[in-house]
Parts: sequence; C-alpha cells; structure tokens
Amino acid sequence: MPGEPAKRTKREEYKSTLGEGQDAQLPKKKFYRQRAHANPFSDHSLTYPKCPADMDWASLYPAYVVEEPQDGSHDQKEISEGKGNAITKQVEIADIGCGFGGLLFALAPKLPDTLILGMEIRTSVTEYVQDKVRALRAQHTPTTNASTHDFQNVSCIRANTMKFLPNFFTRAQLSKIFLCFPDPHFKQRKHKARIVSYTLASEYAYVLRPGGIVYTITDVEDLHNWMVGHFEKHPSFEMVGEEELEKEGDVCVGIMRKETEEGKKVERNKGMKFVACFRRAEDPPWP
Amino acid sequence: MTLPFQCIEAYSLPTERSCEWAVFGVCGSRLVVQTSSGVTSTWPTEQYPTRSTEPADEPEGPPGKRVKLSPPADQIMNFSCLTLSNGKEHIVAITAEDKCIRVFRLDSENQLQQLSQRCMARRPCALAITSDDSTILCADKFGDVYSLPLQYTPEDDMTETPIPEESETPAEKDYKPAASVLTVHSGRNRKVLEEQMKQASKGVKKSKEPLKFKHELLLGHVSMLTDIAYARIDERSYILTADRDEHIRVSRGPPQAHIIEGFCQGHDEFVTKLCLPTPGVLVSGGGDPHLYIWDWVNSRLLNKFCIRDAVSAFMKTLTEDKSNLEDKISKTVVSGIWNVPATSTQDVILVACEGVPAVFSISLGGTNGPPVLGQTIPLTGNALDVGIISQNKEFCTAIVSIDNIHKPGSTTEIREDEGPNRLQCFSCKGNEWHEDSDVMAKLEWLNRRALGDEGDSGTDSKVTSQSPRRADEKALRDILYGMENLRKRPGAED
Repeated sequence: MPGEPAKRTKREEYKSTLGEGQDAQLPKKKFYRQRAHANPFSDHSLTYPKCPADMDWASLYPAYVVEEPQDGSHDQKEISEGKGNAITKQVEIADIGCGFGGLLFALAPKLPDTLILGMEIRTSVTEYVQDKVRALRAQHTPTTNASTHDFQNVSCIRANTMKFLPNFFTRAQLSKIFLCFPDPHFKQRKHKARIVSYTLASEYAYVLRPGGIVYTITDVEDLHNWMVGHFEKHPSFEMVGEEELEKEGDVCVGIMRKETEEGKKVERNKGMKFVACFRRAEDPPWP
Repeated sequence: MTLPFQCIEAYSLPTERSCEWAVFGVCGSRLVVQTSSGVTSTWPTEQYPTRSTEPADEPEGPPGKRVKLSPPADQIMNFSCLTLSNGKEHIVAITAEDKCIRVFRLDSENQLQQLSQRCMARRPCALAITSDDSTILCADKFGDVYSLPLQYTPEDDMTETPIPEESETPAEKDYKPAASVLTVHSGRNRKVLEEQMKQASKGVKKSKEPLKFKHELLLGHVSMLTDIAYARIDERSYILTADRDEHIRVSRGPPQAHIIEGFCQGHDEFVTKLCLPTPGVLVSGGGDPHLYIWDWVNSRLLNKFCIRDAVSAFMKTLTEDKSNLEDKISKTVVSGIWNVPATSTQDVILVACEGVPAVFSISLGGTNGPPVLGQTIPLTGNALDVGIISQNKEFCTAIVSIDNIHKPGSTTEIREDEGPNRLQCFSCKGNEWHEDSDVMAKLEWLNRRALGDEGDSGTDSKVTSQSPRRADEKALRDILYGMENLRKRPGAED
C-alpha cells in the first residue's frame, strides 16, 4: 500500500521524540490509530500474570507502592502480597476495551480515591493511553498546579480479558466493570467473539463483589438487546435502571454517555446510545 | 495388521469369591469389549456396509484438506473418548468427526448395544458423568460445557420442547443487518453494509438447525476445553474444567454451575488432564514440566512433581541416539493421569506422556511430603491409555494400551514390523508393579485378535478389508497423538 512506509517512519520518529524529556506532552492520537477489531480467540503474544498475586501493580500505580517498613514491623496492612510489588489499594474499577481512554480520564478526577484500570487488546491504542497517563502525571506537580488531578489512580494494560480476566483480579475484587461500545461483531457466526455472553457473565460475576455494577453502552440496538438478554438470563445479575443508580449518587452513567471517545463520535453523528447496567447479586446458598 | 486402541476403559465388580471385570477398547471407529468370563462383543457388528461399494483407492491427496469439506453422511468417525458411568452400567463415548455423544450398555448377554447417539453443535473434547449417573457433562472445543440427560430416548423430543441453545434473537422473519448507517463509520464498512442490505433483499438465509434433544449450557471458557471432572464433597457438587490457556476453573455443580468458586492458577502451559485421586485433591498435567497437585477447594497449590525429569531419565536409558532427544523431552505432554485404587496407605497415580513407552507410578505423599516417583514401568510401545481393574482391596491390575504401529519413543516413525502387543497388563502388589501374565492370557482376544487379521469368521475378515488401517499414517497419528498440537507457538500471530 502506498503511504504505509511513510506512516511507519513518522510513527517511529514521533515515538523516539517521546523519550526526550517531553514527558508532559500529551500524545497525539494520529500516531496510535489501529484497526478497530481484534480476534479474541487467537494466541496473541500477550503477557499476563499467572495469578493476581503475580501482577506487578506497583509499576502501574507508583504512588500507591507499599513503603518498606523501616523498623521492620508490619503495622501497615498489606492488601496485595505480590513479589514486593504490593500497593496499598486494590484496583476496583476495570474499563474493559478502554480504547483511547476517554472514560478513564474522565472518571479519574471524579473518583480520586479509587484505582481504575483500562484494559485494551490493541497494542498501539494501549500505548497511547499509557503515554497519556504518563503525560498527565508529569503535568501535575505539587508546586505548579496542585488544583488539578494527579492521575495517579489510573493506568492501562494490554490484555485479552475474555481469556485472562481472572489472571488479573481475585474473586470479588472489583466494584465496577465498564463495557463501553464493544465491538458489535455483526455477523452471526462471530457472535461468540462478543464481549458479553452468558458464560462470560460468570467471569464478570466472579471478579465483581456482590452489589458491584456492570455498565454497558452501545450504539447498536441489536447488541444492546443481546447484552441485556445474556445478563438478564444470568442468575448472578439483575438489571438496574439509570435513574436508580443516579439516585444512589452514581455519576458513572453520565460520564459514560458523554466522555467516552466513541460516545462523542456517536453524538457528532447524532446516533442513538443504549445504556444498560446490571447489579451483581449475592451468591445463593449451596443447594 | 492390527491397529492400537486409542482409548481403553475397564471396570471391575469384586464379588466374594472372585472378581468380574470387563475391558473396553476403541480402535478407530469401533468399540470392543471383553469380559472376565471370556465373552467378547464388537460395535458396530458390521462396519459400514455401504462403504464396501466404495473404491478401495482413497485419494492420496493431502489429508488435511478433506477435513474442511462438509463431511459425507457415512464418513468414518473415530472414537476420541470413553467414560464409564459410576454404576458401570453405561459406557459413554465421543466420536470426533460427527461430534456425537453415544451411550452404550452391555445387555444381558454381554453384547454391546448403542442406546442413543446425540450429535452436538461443536466437537466434544471430554466427558464427565454426575455422581448420580443422571447427567452427562460435555466439554467442547469451543470452550462450553453442556449437560445432557444420560438416559435418552428419541420419543422425549416429542413431549419436551427443545431448549434453545442461546437467545440468538430468533426473529428471523426479515433479516435486517444489525448495523445501520448511523453505526457504521468507515467507507469500507459502508460498502459491506450495502452488500448486506442487498443480500437481505434476496431472502432469509437458513441458520443452523437447533439441536433437537434436551441440553443445557452450563458454563464456558473462551478457550478450547481439554478435560472436565465432576466432584462431590460434603453434599456440594463441583465441576472442574481445564483449558488450553493454562486455566483450571472450579465451578459449582448444576443447578448452580454459573457460579465460579475459584481457579487453580499456576500452570505455564496448556492443561490436558485432571485427576481427582482423593476427595479434595487434584492432580493436573499438560504441556508443563511439572504435574501440579492442588487443594482445589481452596485454590491452593500443595505440591509439584517434575514429570519431565522422570521422562528424561527414562528416555536416556532407552535410546543411544541422543540427537534431538532434548527437543523431544522439552515437548513432553502428559496424556493421561489415572488414580490407582488404594493399594497401600499412600495414594498412587499412574501417568503417561505422549510418545513415551513407559508409565510412571507416582506416590502422592499425602499432606506430609512431596510426591515421589515410585516406579517407571517400561513398555513395548508408547503408552496410549490405561484402564484399571480393582481385583480386591489390595490388588489391582492396570491394562495399558500400547502403540504397536509407531516405534517406541516416536510419534512419527512407523515400525518395520508391527509390535507384538496392543495391550500390556501390570498388577500392583504392595507398591510394586509386575507384568501380569494371567490377566494378559485372559485378554488374548482383545490383545491380538479383536478387529484383526486372525479374525475367525467371515464378517471379521470383511471388516479388516476396510478397517481404518487403510487410513493414512497422518490420520492415525492425529487420533493417537493430538495433544502436543495444543502447545502455543510463540509469535505465531499478533
């Protein structure tokens, strides 16, 4: 394809400039664009921890690293006991398929005390979010602009969550999962590749604590009906109305409607947006 | 020439004075059985009468290609899995090519009788049967687990409305693309949408026919399932599932199979086999150097055992040719783990690896010690499967299915002369395994004659003239050694 090599060189040039003290510069999206689809069944050369305890959270959330106890006493309660990579808080919110991270950066200042993780399967899109996180953190210095948010509570990794979600999170670790504008996989024979299914709902239920919420939004009505159908069928989930969540003081639906990149695009195109939220029920007693 | 048994199963009903047993074997597309009283039976009694009219010269072309074509109605189907019900009344088997679950039983004359056959939508990989023998749990290549009633008569379909597989929006009166001009943003996608609209105006495409028998989706992984186990502990039932992505999942048993209780995480490679030797203990193996021993109820790793070291030590004694031995050893795959019914105070398992002419007897050591290799039992050919007859409380016999076609230690090289035995028998007394010639003599028919040239009757010779041995070498290799293929190739795609 003509133009390809030029594109690649430009990207390489651009990325080489990033390392040179330009930390605070926000990344440019045009250098990170990537095809919108990925095959969730293929053996991508992914890296993922063997189990949640092996996950290196400290490098993602450096501001929350557990301080080495100086007097040798363990007065600080370690929440995750990795390999010296413990952090003082656990990730509680996962944005699955975070894309360019619009929702992450909107949520982070609104929920400053909660760790938020974006998970994206496309390499270069993940890099964009990671570069943006780095830039936003660098922009914030206590001396210059203490009033802005420091974005220490948000991070992003490349992951295939359909396969490896339980490698990252322990049982009942999360309070919120976002599934925003997922790949609709229009063809019937691709439906198994959709991010929502009855069987995957079991995994979402596993990592969510009882009372936790799954938020879904899409501009494809058929996919909306599909997601509602599959979550409704699953005994661990019950649908909750937007109004009910807002009454509880939940700001997430509004942000999800307005701040996701895809949400903005649909807004521009004057398309429809379908929102559905589901609450994780308590597990029933054993029969 | 006789082909090896890709799977065998055995059961024993110890009585006061003696022990009745039966050994089942599957060879290609046929199921055979021999009992302790010497009765033998073969299913199907006559193999594909329609096929005899077919020309004997099958196309020599690349065999891989034929698989992709839609299979002909009378296509050869090969058994890939054999499981006995807990009450030993039923034998449940999978035939791979037609994705079929078949239930058999031995009738009053000890003859094999097929009770039902149910073809699934996806190829089943492994089976488990609930402890009350009411339900078959079927794990498939797409990662899903379905439950089916064990007892099944086609008449059930008339009375029961088939359960739709998924809520796949059956409103197919007028196909309308799910995408609309609003949801499609790129030029190329718009073109595709136009195409779809055009197609839609031509008429409704017929979707796959739903399965007509009762079946229920219980749970699913987004990865090929390799094994499934069912367990009951203190009135609680569990389903354990293993997949190609290193996962071992513990779910509740039906009717709460949608609840995940935990994961046994630690494998670096695909998992191929699960074995539950004692309540609460799981031994898992696969493409990893180690077997993992778990307290699976609490998702806790108890111990590891390096099976690759055991294989390496054995293979080095076996062959002078040290070239590519290291490579072979690095690709060790556990192909079977069997629990040996309590022979002493210790729990003993037998382990086989693909393309290794030995079975490894390992003492698990219980809670107070690491697992120990008890004995490496050398064989005359690669171990394929093991069936265990429990003669009485202290004494059991392992029937090992042997690959008599490939050279010992190789999954590709064919022997010049066919190996002498398809079976070998070993009895365990104390903690020692010894070749058992008594049982071997009783299994003479199964070992040498079943489905073989030495067949005595006319039907038998007719069978051999078209028995699956005509199938080319690769097809045989695929039937016997499919597991190493599950290994992920690094950087194959991105």
